[in-house]
Amino acid sequence: MTVKPDLAAGLALPFASTAPWKGSSARLEVIAVIDETADVKTFVFRPEGGGWFSYKPGQFVTLELPVPGGPVWRTYTLSSTPTRPFSASVTVKAQAGSIGTRWMFDTLVPGMTLTASGPAGHFSHWNHLAERYLFLSAGSGITPMMSMLRAMADTAPASDVAFLTCGRTPGDLLFRDELEMLARQMPNLTLGLMVERKSAADRWHGLTGRIDMARLKFLVRDYRQREIFCCGPEPFMAGVRLMLEDAGFDMRHYHEESFGAPSKAQTQPQTKVQTQSQAQATSAEATSEAKTVTDDATAGRVPSQVQGAAPTAAPPAQDGTAPAGYAGDGMQLQFSRSDVTTTCAPGTTLLEAARAAAVRIPAACEAGMCGTCKVKKTAGDVAMEHNGGITDEEIGDGYVLACCARPLGPVTLEV
Amino acid sequence: MDVRNDMLKRVKNRREGYSLDQAFYTDPEYFRLDLDLIWYRDWLFVGHDCEVARAGSFFTVQVGDYPVVILRDSDGQIRAFHNSCRHRGSRVCTEHRGSSARLVCPYHQWTYDLDGSLLYARQMAEDFDKSQFSLKPVACESVAGYIFICLAEKPAEFAPFAQLMQPYFAPHRLTEAKVAFESTIIEKGNWKLVWENNRECYHCAGNHPELCKTYPEAPTVTGVAGGDEDPDLTEHWTRLEAGGLPSRFRMHESGQFRACRTPLIGDAVSYTISGRPAVQERLSAEVSQERIGALLLFHYPTTWNHVLGDHAVTFRVLPISATETAVTTKWLVNKDAVEGVDYDLDTLTHVWMQTNDQDRRIVEENAFGIKSPAYEPGPYSELHEGGVMQFVDWYCRSVETRLTEGGKSLRSVA
Repeated sequence: MTVKPDLAAGLALPFASTAPWKGSSARLEVIAVIDETADVKTFVFRPEGGGWFSYKPGQFVTLELPVPGGPVWRTYTLSSTPTRPFSASVTVKAQAGSIGTRWMFDTLVPGMTLTASGPAGHFSHWNHLAERYLFLSAGSGITPMMSMLRAMADTAPASDVAFLTCGRTPGDLLFRDELEMLARQMPNLTLGLMVERKSAADRWHGLTGRIDMARLKFLVRDYRQREIFCCGPEPFMAGVRLMLEDAGFDMRHYHEESFGAPSKAQTQPQTKVQTQSQAQATSAEATSEAKTVTDDATAGRVPSQVQGAAPTAAPPAQDGTAPAGYAGDGMQLQFSRSDVTTTCAPGTTLLEAARAAAVRIPAACEAGMCGTCKVKKTAGDVAMEHNGGITDEEIGDGYVLACCARPLGPVTLEV
Repeated sequence: MDVRNDMLKRVKNRREGYSLDQAFYTDPEYFRLDLDLIWYRDWLFVGHDCEVARAGSFFTVQVGDYPVVILRDSDGQIRAFHNSCRHRGSRVCTEHRGSSARLVCPYHQWTYDLDGSLLYARQMAEDFDKSQFSLKPVACESVAGYIFICLAEKPAEFAPFAQLMQPYFAPHRLTEAKVAFESTIIEKGNWKLVWENNRECYHCAGNHPELCKTYPEAPTVTGVAGGDEDPDLTEHWTRLEAGGLPSRFRMHESGQFRACRTPLIGDAVSYTISGRPAVQERLSAEVSQERIGALLLFHYPTTWNHVLGDHAVTFRVLPISATETAVTTKWLVNKDAVEGVDYDLDTLTHVWMQTNDQDRRIVEENAFGIKSPAYEPGPYSELHEGGVMQFVDWYCRSVETRLTEGGKSLRSVA
């Protein structure tokens, strides 16, 4: 593909003569693809035909990806900062079985355009201004934190931020060089990089292991005085929540990008169609492929005493309400034909919960694609992020794919 | 003697204007040849666009040894695939019809997208190349609400048929209709006997009291003479074409298909005992003329049709064995018509349910008698059975051409 002259020349139309990108009407044009780690890339966009981006750091966009067989919609947090408005970027990880992200990896090159909507979401420090911040992230949960930190570096470099991020190995830590550079430029930035294990290929002098209270206190003594933002796989966030609650932290100052089990108040059962209506989306709805990735990428790194245990209180949803049906012990699930009732932690898929309860649901791809695990739901609400394995008609008839549906409250399945 | 040479010899030596030798109607080896020479080569009507209304809607059909699935993909395109998994060959779609976001083989859950591409195969080797194992496509075309498939590797042109039938059928909007009722009967007779029976109304007076209340027995109507000599027909055509409805008898030079609009008896407008409409809502708002009669279409070897103002009756013929044939009849009505409100199902289907059953009996008796060692081909009525002769001529010409393709001596390739 030949690069367009204006792309090659680095032309951007003057700020004053152009309008901000409107997600619903203007397409995005890829202007760069950057390799971050072995399986993570950053895709940089500009509005097609000129323009600039207006958003809050930490917000996300929804991309329509024209994969063979019909478009899929994927939601990605912007890793870029609105203080550099002429481009915006998403940083995504491709996992095995990925459709949309894999397509981006294989297909997107500069010059191509995508339909996108957004930006949207409430997960931004601009909504919770404070004197001191603590950013806690794992895996690609770092992207909204990076957006916020870059904005601070550009607009308020004296901001007091403790930035803790976790990766599996040193090579998996995203934006490591940039973070170290920002630490030199921002006098009040405390950087805490943590890996689950060292690797032979990369030098490592930082902390190893998983985040726990001892390590948190060691890195950030005054964490209690900070506005905390947390993003990562659900087990990671559940661990952080439990740790903070045990320590008596005032959870009104805790905010998370919760992907696994958004509260009912924030999220209707999510289908491909509903994903399109991004206007109503909240950050909690951003159950994205990239974020699903973080589940895999960091699973097992949560302290063992926390992992798998249901939190003792409702997950602190951003509007402060607890999900319906969440009663301390987890979500109640009823398998009517099997005459089995069980509970599961928020974020658990129906299939995982069924297996734990020894209820048999046939399954194959476990990626929302083949539809083998289709079951009839006779009561309750779920959040579902499928990959085309179920029709809207079937959803309308009450069917769900057990592998990619997570209960939002008590749920009854006809199995 | 080699069966191909045997068939070729019998086709060449047949007596024009006479029915065929017994083997054509009874011999399993002749039936295999019919499949190879006709059914695996010609365009076959399988169903209607409106039966696959939404993405993921599918129906299946069995043509000889070929199971085929017909579906609408996520782009709205109607496609057909060989219904055989690329893993170990299992049938992927086992239902007669249904709706599915993906095609998933029930054996090992190999998952195909609606465009046939293999999306997912569990735990195959690292270097397994999914792109090499898409479902095999079957040629598929849709025109004016009719879906045709062709199993040949190099299908004949579909355009001549589409060009002939489209102007006649498009105004009736069968693309948007709905199937109010469907019936499949098995007639214990060779598929050619089913067709021969259909191509004449010589038998109607003695067998079809219900149909004869509305459908004329005139050979000019059923046959292939063109009807220009029939003043009733020409008046009918002139009136309707003046109103914008193509109506005149048109048959393709190959003789494989024809369309023609024919009047019904008296004031009848529909195939009901009373002759009155069976459906309150017209089939198509585009066709508002009164007394349009029946739009007839045949396309060998799979379909004959009657489209009226208030509904359409379509027929699909599929061979099962030398002596068994499946005939599927569908009654199409306006998609907004409500059963029990706009139409009564019994009234709608009565005449053709009776007629089909009568035809089944006729064909079975015909097949029964042909099995007699004493059977010998008999003469067709030149007055009434021109349509039958035309069908048999088409069949014999097709078979003969295809048996002698490439100019090779059959003996040398046998």
